[in-house]
Amino acid sequence: MPTDTRRISGPEISHSPYDYCLTPPIDLIGADKKRLDGRLPAQLRPLFLRAGVISQARGSGYIEVDQTKVICAVYGPREVLRREDFSLKGQLTCDFKFTTFSCRLRRQHQQDNQEKDLSVQLLEALEPAVCLQKYPKSQINIYVTVLQNDGSALSAAIICASLALASAGIEMYDLVLASSVAMRDALTIVDPTEREEEAVLNKTHKAELNAGSMTVAFLPSINQVSAISSDGEILCETLTKSMRLCVENCLKLYPVLQQALVKHRLDKQADTS
Amino acid sequence: MAGMELLSDQGFRTDGRKPNELRRIRFKKGVFKQADGSAYLEQGNTKVLAAVYGPHEIRGGKGKALHDQLLINCQYSMATFSTQDRKRRPRGDRKSLEMTAHLKQTFNAVILTELYPKVQLDIYVEVLQSDGGNYCASVNAATLALIDAGIPMKDYVIACSGSYIRDTPVVDINNLEESSAGAEIIMAILPRCEQIVFIEMNSRLHEDHLSPVMDQVMTGCKDIFNILNQQVRDELCKKSAQDRIVDSG
Amino acid sequence: MTDVDLSEAEKTFILHSMQDNFREDGRGCEDFRHMEVETGLISNTNGSARVRLASTDILVGVKVQLVPVDPNKPNVGRIEFFLDCSANATPAFEGRGGEGLASEITAMLTRAYSCPSAIDYPSLCVLPGQQCWLLYIDVLLLECGGNLFDAVSIAVKSALFNLRIPNVTMTKDEGGIELDVSDDPFDFKRLDVAGAPIIVTVNKIGHFHVVDASEKEEVCSLARLMLGITEKGTVTAMKKEGSGSLDTDSISEMIESAKKVGVELNKCLLNILMTEEGQEVKPVGFLR
Repeated sequence: MPTDTRRISGPEISHSPYDYCLTPPIDLIGADKKRLDGRLPAQLRPLFLRAGVISQARGSGYIEVDQTKVICAVYGPREVLRREDFSLKGQLTCDFKFTTFSCRLRRQHQQDNQEKDLSVQLLEALEPAVCLQKYPKSQINIYVTVLQNDGSALSAAIICASLALASAGIEMYDLVLASSVAMRDALTIVDPTEREEEAVLNKTHKAELNAGSMTVAFLPSINQVSAISSDGEILCETLTKSMRLCVENCLKLYPVLQQALVKHRLDKQADTS
Repeated sequence: MAGMELLSDQGFRTDGRKPNELRRIRFKKGVFKQADGSAYLEQGNTKVLAAVYGPHEIRGGKGKALHDQLLINCQYSMATFSTQDRKRRPRGDRKSLEMTAHLKQTFNAVILTELYPKVQLDIYVEVLQSDGGNYCASVNAATLALIDAGIPMKDYVIACSGSYIRDTPVVDINNLEESSAGAEIIMAILPRCEQIVFIEMNSRLHEDHLSPVMDQVMTGCKDIFNILNQQVRDELCKKSAQDRIVDSG
Repeated sequence: MTDVDLSEAEKTFILHSMQDNFREDGRGCEDFRHMEVETGLISNTNGSARVRLASTDILVGVKVQLVPVDPNKPNVGRIEFFLDCSANATPAFEGRGGEGLASEITAMLTRAYSCPSAIDYPSLCVLPGQQCWLLYIDVLLLECGGNLFDAVSIAVKSALFNLRIPNVTMTKDEGGIELDVSDDPFDFKRLDVAGAPIIVTVNKIGHFHVVDASEKEEVCSLARLMLGITEKGTVTAMKKEGSGSLDTDSISEMIESAKKVGVELNKCLLNILMTEEGQEVKPVGFLR
């Protein structure tokens, strides 16, 4: 992994104290059929959305899904810097970054492999929604920063970025919604928190066939899935079933996103008049 | 070097060769379809792949173009698993940059560069397994790839290494001899006109011993040339015979 | 990534022939191209394999090293993927040109191998809580002829099958436990790779989905689904790639067909590797 030589780095080998307090395997669901934070398995977390939070950016968005907080800025369309990259279709770039303090373990300032992978997934979720043919020879840059990660960071980032794109006035076919689920054996829980995500992926016994998480990005008005990704070992049938569940959850979020956008528009009108 | 004799009293080297004996050479031209020319070459346990692209338009900035001759672009890289201890990076380290420069210099001397002004030729060399004589194997493989691509050259360019162990000049040294023996001489020559296009010596060697080693390496180069030339010619004859059958229906 | 530049007419030709269940090379939608697998070619490695799928050429070398365990997971070994796009494949990979593609493929491989049942991770632990084996899985991309992800994953699985991990003897002395790695080439243990996933890429071209797309077909396809499929038919990682989108019904169909192909592919590969080992043929490598 590349390290930044200009920063003072810590000792060569160091371990987080968390490494030494092994967390006992947790039950995803208690005896009262409720999850660790008191939700039902199929219950989403409360959501807060706001557009236009960064004044310098062309468009921006902020999302809070309980403890998960993501901010996003959109710049452009602007000229492509390198001349060879001229094209009839516009370019979309995504930059996904966890702030150093956002996770349980400290993150590095430079993008690590996971963040690079998430940048690509974010790009692939948004690209089908943006009318790139309307922006020849130009690029649109999306910067997503996760301020606090408490699970489902990718789906929060996708929603936030699509809100920022829309508020920037970029032409799109549709808003992009996203939702994630985690599954273990026959149990499927929606919108998992960080602890739940980890518990699912770090399964201890090998016998379980079904354990993993999944994120789906969905364009409701054209009824298309723009991104789908999964981790962990999952049966094909469960995969299909979870995908449909994710799509249903995306539809539930659609009015919230629309409302945030309308509010942003009205606020702007009030400001100018 | 304690405990191990690089040259036994009976006159054999650690791998059983005589001082003037080469390692087994096997090669194949045209291993890849997409490249304009390619070759795979084995010299003992050293295994090298070379690919040639071009001559084609200058890539990147047009400013690099040479108005009166061909621009030769080389890249030498080693697979991360090619050496005994794993390499962290396949290229970009000092040694591979140096090797790239050497290759470029060698092939500038032999390709008829004035025939292709303002264009570029790429020579890419990939070492898959390294057991001494990486430069030599790379040059020989790249020569074959250039022949496969049909690039006009003055002559073959053949490289070979040599050393001086226990008052005997030895040829085509392997990794063990390279790392533990004293001096190492690497030469790239044009075998038919007996011209040296590249020569390098590491470490110390007595003046009197220099010319026997150089003679030995020169002979080694010519031996390699004969092996390569023979097979290239045979393949060509076979190919042309086939073409004649096809042409005559 | 590719130099292939198709005209509209060529694209239409591929799309239309797809409607009659014909591909440009005469294959059906769930057929793979001719593939050659060979193991044990590079003697400097602990395990190696080469896969040639039509003109896609992949070489994988695995080296093992003793390292301190990850304190978070004290009882398992570790693996690390590294992919190098050789400039031999295309001049575009020169210098750092191939890094984008390389990181995409390694990310997918890492995800596919991250589930505990992929390989026998506990067997890679030498001394619980202290030392374990780290497998450096180094992939070299020598030529691109489409369907890189699948070919790379097949090569990785074959190289892991070929892997010979030297046995370690432990002796207890006053300073602690001393580890001694055997240097006898016949004193080794193997790794169980039955659960290792193979990546299957399903390309959506027009209204149809095909596996093992050639470079030309990849240009025509706007969206593809990549799935890490194990022998049992479970999915260890999934990802959508490309600038297009898919509807839910076609995704479930694509998952189904990836599962079918993946299970079959895993079975065939293991069979071939077993028979190849039984015959004890000397690898010919690139000289064929």
